[in-house]
Amino acid sequence: MKIKQYVVWLAVIGLVVGFGLWGCAKKEAAPIKIGGIFDITGPTSAVGKDYAQACKDAEQYINEHGGVNGRKIQLIANDYAYKIPEAVNLYKQYKDVDKVFVIQGWGTGDTNALKPHINKDKIVYISASYDSKLDDPSKTPYNFYVGTSYSDAIRLAMKFIKDTFNEMFPDAGNRAPRVVFIYPDHPYGKAPIPAGKKMAEELGIKVGPDEIVGLRAIDATSQLLHMKEFDPDWAWVGGTTPSTSVIVKDAAKLGLRTKFISNVWGFDENLIKLAGEAGNDRIYGMAPFAFWGEDVPGMKAAMEAAKKTNPEASHTVRYIQGWSAMMVMWEGLKRADKAGELNGPGLKKALETLKDFDTGGLTAPVTFTPTDHRPNTSLRIFKMSNNKLVPVKSVSIEREARFLGW
Amino acid sequence: MPSGLFHTNYEDDEKILQTLWLKCWMWGFLVFLFVVFPNVASSLSAIFGINVLHMANMIGIFIIGAHGLNILTGFTGQISLGHGAFMGVGAYTSGILFMKAGWPLWLSLPAAGLVTAAVGMIFGVPSLRLRGLYLAIATMAAQFIIEYTMRNWTSLTGGSAGLNIDPPVIAGLALDTDKRYFYLVFVLVVASTLFLKNLLRTKTGRAFVAVRDRYLSAEIMGVNLFKYRLLSFGISSFYVGVAGGLFAHYNMIISDEHFTMWLSIQYLAMVIIGGLGHVLGGIFGTIFMVLLPELLRIPSQALSNVYPNIFAIFGTLRELVFGVVIILFLIFEPDGLAARWHTVRAYWKLWPFSY
Repeated sequence: MKIKQYVVWLAVIGLVVGFGLWGCAKKEAAPIKIGGIFDITGPTSAVGKDYAQACKDAEQYINEHGGVNGRKIQLIANDYAYKIPEAVNLYKQYKDVDKVFVIQGWGTGDTNALKPHINKDKIVYISASYDSKLDDPSKTPYNFYVGTSYSDAIRLAMKFIKDTFNEMFPDAGNRAPRVVFIYPDHPYGKAPIPAGKKMAEELGIKVGPDEIVGLRAIDATSQLLHMKEFDPDWAWVGGTTPSTSVIVKDAAKLGLRTKFISNVWGFDENLIKLAGEAGNDRIYGMAPFAFWGEDVPGMKAAMEAAKKTNPEASHTVRYIQGWSAMMVMWEGLKRADKAGELNGPGLKKALETLKDFDTGGLTAPVTFTPTDHRPNTSLRIFKMSNNKLVPVKSVSIEREARFLGW
Repeated sequence: MPSGLFHTNYEDDEKILQTLWLKCWMWGFLVFLFVVFPNVASSLSAIFGINVLHMANMIGIFIIGAHGLNILTGFTGQISLGHGAFMGVGAYTSGILFMKAGWPLWLSLPAAGLVTAAVGMIFGVPSLRLRGLYLAIATMAAQFIIEYTMRNWTSLTGGSAGLNIDPPVIAGLALDTDKRYFYLVFVLVVASTLFLKNLLRTKTGRAFVAVRDRYLSAEIMGVNLFKYRLLSFGISSFYVGVAGGLFAHYNMIISDEHFTMWLSIQYLAMVIIGGLGHVLGGIFGTIFMVLLPELLRIPSQALSNVYPNIFAIFGTLRELVFGVVIILFLIFEPDGLAARWHTVRAYWKLWPFSY
């Protein structure tokens, strides 16, 4: 009996001391916590995994390169499988339990769903959704993204179609270009469509009926056959790389003459593998970021960080996207820390001082102001040719006030 | 002298709380739930690393829904694969009435229940002819039809972008924090549990059980099969509609993504894991199903911090473990958690004599 009691007491003391030490150890380091909401298993995981990995690697890189003026950061990364309810769940967890003031988020649906929460809680939310609805600070003061907005991308695509029409379709004569929009019935797919249609109307482009192709589609034949009745010159594709490759492969099978132009998430290095021959000279892409391994000054750091976690790693443009989001956040955190305001409103203010912030060519220079959260309005258009992604044209659009927020 | 529980009349036998001890425990539990728990929840969150109050609210909301499905599946013996969508009907009804028509919560929430009950009864009509798997497929049609409507009636529901809903205001107090909402949810949880418990002691409840056990004998005894099957669908949907309304105001955003087939299956899993045909079953099963994925996140999050290069794998590991745990549960605990609870309780009651 005596021995038993002794053992129990020892265990209790051990636990108390252990927890105490653990608590102290945690206090000493006190890293800046950052929430991470990523898609690793959901319908956009094909592009989400690499993005998440980049954020995780960037965390390590930042900590090894001085952190935030000496303080480390800790990225709490979780998978939400592209489900809005799960994102809301994680958001509450990060806000109430981990007490973060900045979150690296993901999708259009969930980021938009969280808008009221974000505004109320004053948490800076950097998303991988470049939805224009997130760039008007009078409505969404705490939302940021690094990249060219979907709406500006679709406007640029329409301009590109109009400008190059006679050259690319010489036998079309004087008629107006014909365009259809193919996208998944999801906030991400639908977000830029009104902007695209408005731009098409302004430019005198004829718009055909929309086609819905899901993110996990494995066949798009019926949609493409339906589209064929309108016989468009161009089709805008808002999807991810797998769904885009399904569309171009089926288009090749059906022998369509239509050319496809894809939103940023549908066009990356994997397209060469997924679409194969069918993609050549058929698919064009809006590319706001440098591709993996491109010869730009900022690429070296990213490639080294990736090599460190996995020596055989080969990544895609998604890695650069995640990396850029983390680098811009890092710069913001450093500036906020210098101003002595390491919190949500402080970080927001710090990010709004970024003017032509150079990411080393990974993306166009980033500018945020208190009245405009559009990071930039230019990108490059690529096409797939000879099983390679080759640049076609650099395009940019005026930072017009009327395009803010939609 | 009688020892243990020995009833000499029918009223005693039918009492919900049969002993003084049980009454004390119950009051103690309620005091803990409403007075102590909300105040210590934030410290609990810090210790366990999960958002305790938020989890409690989610559990509360889903308990109401699970009670609803338990009435239908556990007590009346009708399978429904449409309860996820019915919850959506409640959520959109309450949300739209609250946001667009300006109704207060105390009107929009019952309205959500009533509209859902009506919808549920419409889809319950085939239950006269169909049973078992056939009925399951018929209710699955409800799932698809309602989901399609939620997604495509954009002017009303906001389509796939969802609908933003403000937190409700009761007597000038905005229920916009987890703690305030907790009281609303748990008053309704207690009320719905009490109603369910009492329903089973009425003629209606006994008719439900008779229909479940052997519908032919029930009909011969004079139970109107169609009436009670439909009523069961109605009450069940009312419950799940109210749960949907609560969910809408709590989450502040609803979209068709919330109310998919997966939610219907989760509801079924809740009542099966908890115990079909037990009032406690809905409660235990919901706690299990809501907490398990949260608890599984902690190790996967910790591992992904230790091994950043294979971090992507741990995200998927959670889903796998979730599946495995449910399979193991069904193998080793087929009668559900409620049955295990009764065994444990009986053991302690009789201890140290096991007979």
